[in-house]
Amino acid sequence: MSELTNFLALVVTAMVPYVFASQGTMLSGRAGVFNVSQEGMLTLGAAVGFLVSLKVGSNAAGIIAAGLVGALFGLVLAAVTTYLRLDQFVVGLALFFLALGAASLLYRVVIGVTMSPPLIPLLQKWRIPLLADIPVVGPVLFHQDPMVYLALIGSAALWWFLFRTDAGMRLRSVGENPKAADSLGINVASTRLWTGIVGSALMAIAGAYLPMVYSGTYTDGMAAGRGWLAIALTFFGGWRPQFIVAGAAFFAGMEVLALRSQVAGIGIPHQFVAMLPYVATLLVMIFAFRWARVPAFLGRNYDRESRLVG
Amino acid sequence: MTSGAAIRYRTGSALRALAPYLAAIVAAFVVAGVVIAMLGHDPFVAFRSVLTTSFATSFGLVETFTKWVPLTLMALAFAIPLGAGRFNIGGEGQLILGATAATAIGITLSGLPMPLLLPLGLIAGVLGGGVWAGIAAWLMSRFHINEILSTVLLNFVSFQLLDYIASQVWPDVGAGFPATVKVGAGAMLPTVGRPALHIGVFITAAVVVIGAILMRRSAPGFELRAVGINERAAKVHGIRTARIAVGAVIVGGMAAGLAGAIEVAGVHGNLLEGIQSNYLLLGIIIGLIARGSVALVPFVAFGISILEIGASAMQRTAQVPAELVLIVEGLILLFLLLSDVLATRWQRSGRKRPPRPATARQATGRAHAGPDSITAMEAQP
Repeated sequence: MSELTNFLALVVTAMVPYVFASQGTMLSGRAGVFNVSQEGMLTLGAAVGFLVSLKVGSNAAGIIAAGLVGALFGLVLAAVTTYLRLDQFVVGLALFFLALGAASLLYRVVIGVTMSPPLIPLLQKWRIPLLADIPVVGPVLFHQDPMVYLALIGSAALWWFLFRTDAGMRLRSVGENPKAADSLGINVASTRLWTGIVGSALMAIAGAYLPMVYSGTYTDGMAAGRGWLAIALTFFGGWRPQFIVAGAAFFAGMEVLALRSQVAGIGIPHQFVAMLPYVATLLVMIFAFRWARVPAFLGRNYDRESRLVG
Repeated sequence: MTSGAAIRYRTGSALRALAPYLAAIVAAFVVAGVVIAMLGHDPFVAFRSVLTTSFATSFGLVETFTKWVPLTLMALAFAIPLGAGRFNIGGEGQLILGATAATAIGITLSGLPMPLLLPLGLIAGVLGGGVWAGIAAWLMSRFHINEILSTVLLNFVSFQLLDYIASQVWPDVGAGFPATVKVGAGAMLPTVGRPALHIGVFITAAVVVIGAILMRRSAPGFELRAVGINERAAKVHGIRTARIAVGAVIVGGMAAGLAGAIEVAGVHGNLLEGIQSNYLLLGIIIGLIARGSVALVPFVAFGISILEIGASAMQRTAQVPAELVLIVEGLILLFLLLSDVLATRWQRSGRKRPPRPATARQATGRAHAGPDSITAMEAQP
């Protein structure tokens, strides 16, 4: 495998957590619920995904369990912001703390303090017949683990759902103008609930992927800012699934580049290379915030009895 | 916040003001107790060590006050920008930059006498934190980049900067992990009593008192609160809202920078990996529990210090993992939010929230004060 193919294959793997977390942010944001607990969801997803995989002996079980735990957090966020109209950002931060604490506590309780942490097997790569034989594209896109396929197909499905179906348009209308949506008989509360739940589940799944493809184990802080970067990526992607995938490729490219040049040892100190993804994101946001079409009702809570909101 | 609620809030008895706090703390402890029992430990043994460790020995008390310093300053770093409706999640990076600047002064000018070197180091720390926050503030005002994201991303940049300084610029080779050599003796804060308590405690107390007075009595403090409560109305009345917001973020960064400088000058004596501890999270929790009020911050910070010091003791005496304390703190915040809502629901009959401007800028997750929101209480500094 050539150096380029190898690099691109790594980028595609590194994209997966960004795609899941960012599409989750996008989906709930499209209905007006802005989740800022990503970093916590990723961390908790990583812990749950790792522990369940270890105990059950199946990575699929770990991913599903992480998704369920994420869904539970999403339910709490969506319910208290929709029904009690608590501040989304403050609740999101509270859930972020809870998730961080829960992740570290779960690991401590189940595994304890050990010198050699137990490992789970990394995800198997699936070879798609015929397609995998295409030079460069084959090994990069068609000889990957199933989560890569799920991320890409899921993103395409999400685009089709949001922009090519009536249900998707109704969903988007809730995030743009809930008053109008409500007057047309769209159930604003239930839309916000289910997108909040699915969105958080996707974030936790993004986290569960980390131990299954990189380290084989859970460590505190292993999300390493990916959750925050995913929020930036959602703005960068203009809250549209197709551009989020493209943006994820950019973010993942930066991440892999930083890692590789640390190993390769180019002239500059590796710490400055490691800053690259974050600095690049800051620079990119200068442009992203100009063109991002943010859902008009993002981060706000709908009160149907108010004459003034919407 | 409408005037009726404000009046009620002020004239309400101390007990009524405290009730949501007590309810939230009790509820959080009940949940934690159930978890501890489920883990097979005795919740009452655990709680006793959590709540009494700080007061059992003079050492515990000194430890608690030493922890109180960075927690209070980091909470101010979050609460002051929150007063203007801005979220500073970059206290960690600002603390690191403050610590770095203080260390740089302490090492390069180590020969200077204490009366010169110590203030220089502290001022450098304040400026370091302010400059780091200033980057985010500039991006916010010039390019409308959401300050939540920019401050967080700068944290990650600062970790690498710390690693570089501690392992390449002034490395202490014998330390075994990234750490700089010690600063000059004149850069260290004097201590009082035995066990020794560094005087950063008094500096912090002074900062809090001055901060609370400025928030309540000065023109910028008034303007800052006005921006936080209703940015559009503040603008209409001629307050330069953009400038106030930038100033609030920078002042917040300065508080975090001071925390970093004091950690170097009072506790560690050098810059080392992990100097930021988990002060960012705790600072945010404290700032939110204190509802962004500068005057309330030190008291909440003291309570959280007790929990934090007690948590490590709990791990030793009751074998309950200290990680549980972060969950307890998160639950206190969540239950406090819930009890606020329930309280307003009961008090209010049909009065509705004021309108909120529908710009994309505010839609990016910014909390604006409505009666339902915890930030509504920012009106009381």
